[in-house]
Amino acid sequence: MPPTLISPSENDYIIRGVDSNIRADGRGRLDYRQVILETGLITQASGSARCRLGEGTDVLVGVKVEFGAVELDGADEDVAEIKAKRGRVICNVECSPIASQQFAGRGADDFNNELTQMLDRVLNGPQSGLNLEKLCIIPGQHCWIVYIDAIVLDYAGNILDTIFMTTRAALYSTRIPKTIIQERGDGEIEFDILDDVEECERIEGWDKVPVAITLNKIGSRHIVDATPLEELTTEAKLLVTVNKDGKVCGLQKSGGGSIEPSLLIDMVQTGRSLGQSLIQSLDEMLQREENDINLKRAQKERKLGFFAAT
Amino acid sequence: MIYVVRAVTENRRCCSRTFQMSRQELIGPQGLRNDGRRVNELRDMKCKTSVLSQADGSAYIEQGNTKCLAAVYGPREARMKAQILHNRANINVEISLAPFSMSERKKRSKSDKRILEIASAVKQTFEPIIMTELFARSQIDIYLQILQFDGGIVQICINAATLALIDAGIPMKDYVCACSAGCINDEPVLDLNNIEETNNVPELTVALLPKTDKITLLQMESRLHVDKFQPVMEMAAIGCKEIHTILDKAVRENVKDLLKKVSI
Repeated sequence: MPPTLISPSENDYIIRGVDSNIRADGRGRLDYRQVILETGLITQASGSARCRLGEGTDVLVGVKVEFGAVELDGADEDVAEIKAKRGRVICNVECSPIASQQFAGRGADDFNNELTQMLDRVLNGPQSGLNLEKLCIIPGQHCWIVYIDAIVLDYAGNILDTIFMTTRAALYSTRIPKTIIQERGDGEIEFDILDDVEECERIEGWDKVPVAITLNKIGSRHIVDATPLEELTTEAKLLVTVNKDGKVCGLQKSGGGSIEPSLLIDMVQTGRSLGQSLIQSLDEMLQREENDINLKRAQKERKLGFFAAT
Repeated sequence: MIYVVRAVTENRRCCSRTFQMSRQELIGPQGLRNDGRRVNELRDMKCKTSVLSQADGSAYIEQGNTKCLAAVYGPREARMKAQILHNRANINVEISLAPFSMSERKKRSKSDKRILEIASAVKQTFEPIIMTELFARSQIDIYLQILQFDGGIVQICINAATLALIDAGIPMKDYVCACSAGCINDEPVLDLNNIEETNNVPELTVALLPKTDKITLLQMESRLHVDKFQPVMEMAAIGCKEIHTILDKAVRENVKDLLKKVSI
């Protein structure tokens, strides 16, 4: 993790500030920094998004959809049967050394792994909301594999929340080409992948993908969207993943300290309501961006006429 | 059961305004290349400095569809004692490629041989240019992140590193500007993209110090007739000069912005 040391006076300053609901950058305990979200930046990918939180944390997610074999699990027949009818989602998170000097060399390996597992667990379970059955082309044989690669480009605290937000936006911008399956008798099945850019579909259920809210316990209170210094002061962290309907899809406590049961319930509630409103504002942002793009496209098609005389 | 996959088209959104052309058609009948450029034209280039919050110096560069972010940390205390040089600073270069940067997804490890080679080429290019003797026993880190790849990886790494080093305020003797040139149908062409690179066009990458016209890096990995070497080399040198004016403009603009902020 980036900065590693904090002085006792700085520590004290943050704790007292949180206690009286004021933080170093002027925010209250439950205020998020400004979120900037952009989609469709990487032309080589099937979908991409970039998110910048305030003046710091910057995450880029590229989604690539490639076709491949379904996952075959030999151990359990029931599980294997379900898996044979499903597409796959593979997640990978990388913290680039350009974000922070601590990520250089092999320094970020453990942290990368931790983040990858966290994202993978949320997106591969039933709580992800993604319709994996729809990603299957021929049951037992071919399916779409959705590779989600996140890169942390800049670090100013609260990486995990940003990764989840960006992933959701990248899935929104992802298009999967349509396939046509033809049976040619004698058990031979072939499928075509349509090459038409217009003939593409969104991944079904992207809107049900949850976002994560990290709550940091500082003193006897909790805050969201912590800066690097606040993360150092944090005694315990609670990650709450929430979907659009306000359902809690996952909880994870990390950090050295402990959380009292009464505070825990309070934190989950805060996470839930904040997550829901965050999803709402993110969806609005994505909708606005799409409208802008459509508007631009419509303007381009307006005919000028000969020599632009009109 | 037999399954036949009839048409699999990779990379549906084309990467550089391309229609797949054969070897002979890399230059069209009108003298235009597959991305619409003329033979002596650079790809569209955009650059910006001071883009990251944590790094001492940073830069973002786009050359056509190749995009790169660079961060410089230092000069600072050397991390590993074994790397300390007693008379000058040690330069450390690390390059990472995003898994989605190419048309096919590929995760590269940090010990990928090709990437390590490019990193060492960048390091050797900058060693004589940075005034390392001013910072004995310290370390300068240059980190490069390729976000999107469409040819010319060595040149974009060097150009991005130059900007980031200048942004970090590290004393250098001159800019280092890199550019590639190749030879298609006996005609020298400037700044190859990925399609031209993968079609076995001989590619010469040159890094130049624009003030003195000295060459600090020269790389060619394929066959080129010795008579053609000079025109290709000259073409690359012209490209380097052009890139110098673009980089210089970006640096000056950034300084202007800084001055404005200070005066307020």
